[in-house]
Amino acid sequence: MAMKKKRYALVLDSRKCINCKACAVACKAENQVPVGNTRNWINEARQGEYPKLRIDFEPEQCHHCEHPSCARVCPTGATWMRKDGIVLVNYDDCIGCRYCMVACPYDARYFHEESGTVHKCTLCSHRVDKGDLPACVETCPSKVRVFGDLEDPTSRVHELLATRRYRVKEPQTGNGPQLYYLL
Amino acid sequence: MGTIRMDRRLFLKAAGVTAGAAATTQVACLSYFKKGRSAAAENREVPTTCELCPNKCSAIAVVEGGLVKKLNPNPENPKSRDMLCARGNAAIKQVYDPDRIKKPMIRMGARGEGKWKEVSWDEAFDFAAKKLAEVKAKHGPEASLWSSTEGFQEVFFKNLGLAFGSPNLVRHPTLCLASVNLAYSATFGTVPSFDLLNSRYVIMSGANRFESIITPDTMDLIGGVMERKAKLIYLDPRFTVTAAKADEWYPIKPGTDLAFILAMIHVIIKENRHSKDFVAAFTTGFDELAEHVKQYTPEWAEKETEIPAKDISRIAREFADAAPRSLYYAGRRSSWYQNDFQMRRAQAILNAIIGNWDQVGGMVPNAKLPKGEFLFMPWDEPKAPRVDEIEKHFPLAAKGDGVYLKLRENVLSGKPYPIKAWMVYKQDPMNAMPDQAKTLKMIEGMDFIGVIDVAMSDMAWYADVVFPESAYLERTDPVEVMAGIWPAVVYRQQVVKPIHDTKPNLEIVQGLAKRLGLSDYFDYTIEQWVEAEFKELPIPMAMEHMKKHGVWAASGKPVYGKTLTPDFRFVTKTGKIELFSQRLQEAGYDPLPAYTAPVQPPDDRFRLILGRVGYFTHANQTNNVWLNEFMKENDLWINPKPAERLGIRNGALVEVASSVGKVKLKARVTEEIRPDCVFMLHGFGKKSKLQSLVYNVGASDAVLLETAWDKVSGNAAFHETFVKVANA
Repeated sequence: MAMKKKRYALVLDSRKCINCKACAVACKAENQVPVGNTRNWINEARQGEYPKLRIDFEPEQCHHCEHPSCARVCPTGATWMRKDGIVLVNYDDCIGCRYCMVACPYDARYFHEESGTVHKCTLCSHRVDKGDLPACVETCPSKVRVFGDLEDPTSRVHELLATRRYRVKEPQTGNGPQLYYLL
Repeated sequence: MGTIRMDRRLFLKAAGVTAGAAATTQVACLSYFKKGRSAAAENREVPTTCELCPNKCSAIAVVEGGLVKKLNPNPENPKSRDMLCARGNAAIKQVYDPDRIKKPMIRMGARGEGKWKEVSWDEAFDFAAKKLAEVKAKHGPEASLWSSTEGFQEVFFKNLGLAFGSPNLVRHPTLCLASVNLAYSATFGTVPSFDLLNSRYVIMSGANRFESIITPDTMDLIGGVMERKAKLIYLDPRFTVTAAKADEWYPIKPGTDLAFILAMIHVIIKENRHSKDFVAAFTTGFDELAEHVKQYTPEWAEKETEIPAKDISRIAREFADAAPRSLYYAGRRSSWYQNDFQMRRAQAILNAIIGNWDQVGGMVPNAKLPKGEFLFMPWDEPKAPRVDEIEKHFPLAAKGDGVYLKLRENVLSGKPYPIKAWMVYKQDPMNAMPDQAKTLKMIEGMDFIGVIDVAMSDMAWYADVVFPESAYLERTDPVEVMAGIWPAVVYRQQVVKPIHDTKPNLEIVQGLAKRLGLSDYFDYTIEQWVEAEFKELPIPMAMEHMKKHGVWAASGKPVYGKTLTPDFRFVTKTGKIELFSQRLQEAGYDPLPAYTAPVQPPDDRFRLILGRVGYFTHANQTNNVWLNEFMKENDLWINPKPAERLGIRNGALVEVASSVGKVKLKARVTEEIRPDCVFMLHGFGKKSKLQSLVYNVGASDAVLLETAWDKVSGNAAFHETFVKVANA
């Protein structure tokens, strides 16, 4: 039987985010991210004047773009995309030139001092391959993130994108980001 | 509108429930191990129960090569809602923290100087037992004080204090939620839970549930209230995350919540919107209440609270109309003002008259699950009266918990009798109690101080001997029943062996007991204790189940309305819900909540208010390297208007002074606070050098806070301090 095509993505309902940082710490533990670096983070937008105020939170990480600019600029081909859409770095091929860090429109990468290579969110591909959820998705108290296969019409991500309005960040780059923010 | 309906449908579908007007939202309880997980041979996955805050969430520890690598949420616990917060995830760093106390330590220099000698456990036990015996011989066993906060192994510590012969156990509630507990108990005979998952209308007074995480309430505010577009009304002088998520935020004038609630009751009764059937069948004292609240009009309340009268009236109407699926949430945090008990009582009364008791989406009396008890040899009850004179000053308060601040006053005065030894388990009175200078004075007067803790807290830093407790991931603990709408039995089992020379609290207690001649009372192992508890779980192979799953939650389905039968007796004097309380009257308190306006700060001062963020617990975890990253230093929130008047710039160092102390920290000039208040976060400005990330970084609010307590419960009143702020 031919394997069905897969396209993993994250759908985020940012309104539910309470900025509790569970996602950031879960990622840190799961992926042994050094202190001082992070693979995911929460943007804060604070506005208004007392007492008319507003705060918006927006979790973010690598967008696992369809046409990733980080992969295009990589001189060694270390950054690559799996068939299921997960963008990864092959650390054996990475020479630490950091072109990809500059090319990423989302500033989602960091230089890993100890290994001299560039790291970023892997969508916890090692967990996904075992059938588990990415650590940030699983641990979230308010279940902001929904992970799934866009090619699967029965998936929750498919259903959400079919029924709800959403946006992506920096679409003008042509990167085709795969983090979908519900409106 | 289409998208809104779709939201709700999707959510209900996801939760496995068919949509319908009266459908209650249920909690899906998957099995962790049915999710297709299988541990590789070199890995182990051990279910356990988190201890980084009091919520006791179920977690699965992933162990690789003998080290804890990851903690995953365990979906089998309906209370913890298949999540682990930042702190839960960071528990790994509690174990592998370079600042950990690695061996028992005896003080060498002056108290607080930080000169320590690492000693063997025998030396530490001998030293402490000798000191305790000396105090007992000279002043009697009642001259020892036993302070602790909640935890699965707290029972052993309390039992040691009692077996030693001291009546002076003092626990966290009067620095926490004693006023809430007492007010709801006085009204309903019990403290209920709040069914946020199914409520349609929720009002919260300063209960910052999105930053002060309580399970399942925090998640249910999202999964229930937000998903279903129920309404959240939030009152707080500060624009918190909860304020940001609320439908309506009112920066109420501090200390006036009682006026708001009384005016709501006024409107509901005046407009006949209360639940007449429920009031008639289950409550007593309604006529007195109706007469009493006539004076509390919305127009009057507007002047007190600064919330427009028309909004108070509208909220009262909406609240009553949404009944019984509406609730005034009790909150759970520390009390704020000296009228705190009466404010919580008013909430309870408001909830009662709309008939949300034991209803879907209302207040629900806690369900419990059975467990066995280990029977140990009993000791003689301590003979001396308590040093805090609780029966005289706080006749309604919980005797076993004590009253912290009154106790400190009495210890300092030496009356009714002297306290000369202080044993502390898992608590940091240096930061938990207001007025640190007074606590230091209390420390000075002690002949002996012994502290049992995982980390070198500020209290431990001032001790004579420190007994390092094993971290929760290194221990097996007693079994706990988590009562609630979704009750669960949780079990904490050892995940990895202790990496340092530490012991679980039971073994520390036994080491002391042996040398104090009290061994017979502690002649058991944790395994025996736990086995006795498992025995009465009504499930086959209980021990095997708990070791494999870490939690048992019966059906995981809530039961509503069990108490709504004509012959049900509430545990109150009249057997009814007491709107008017004769018991309070007899004890010399207002039988119905009466309002007195709080003192407001003079023009040159601010009210200091406190609060939380979701990634620290009380004064703890600020030294956890994975959590400290989110906030390395606390700052003082001040509104731009007064900041401009005082010439204070954002980020500038300011001096904050109260009548009892002063600190320096950076200013955060922000719109997100009332102009008459300033705010600072708990847990910084530590004195212990083994809290290396926060040692002398930022400032401790405990230095500034003045001693004040709620009249009825004795609960510390944390918002009664006025401070001066100036550029440093």
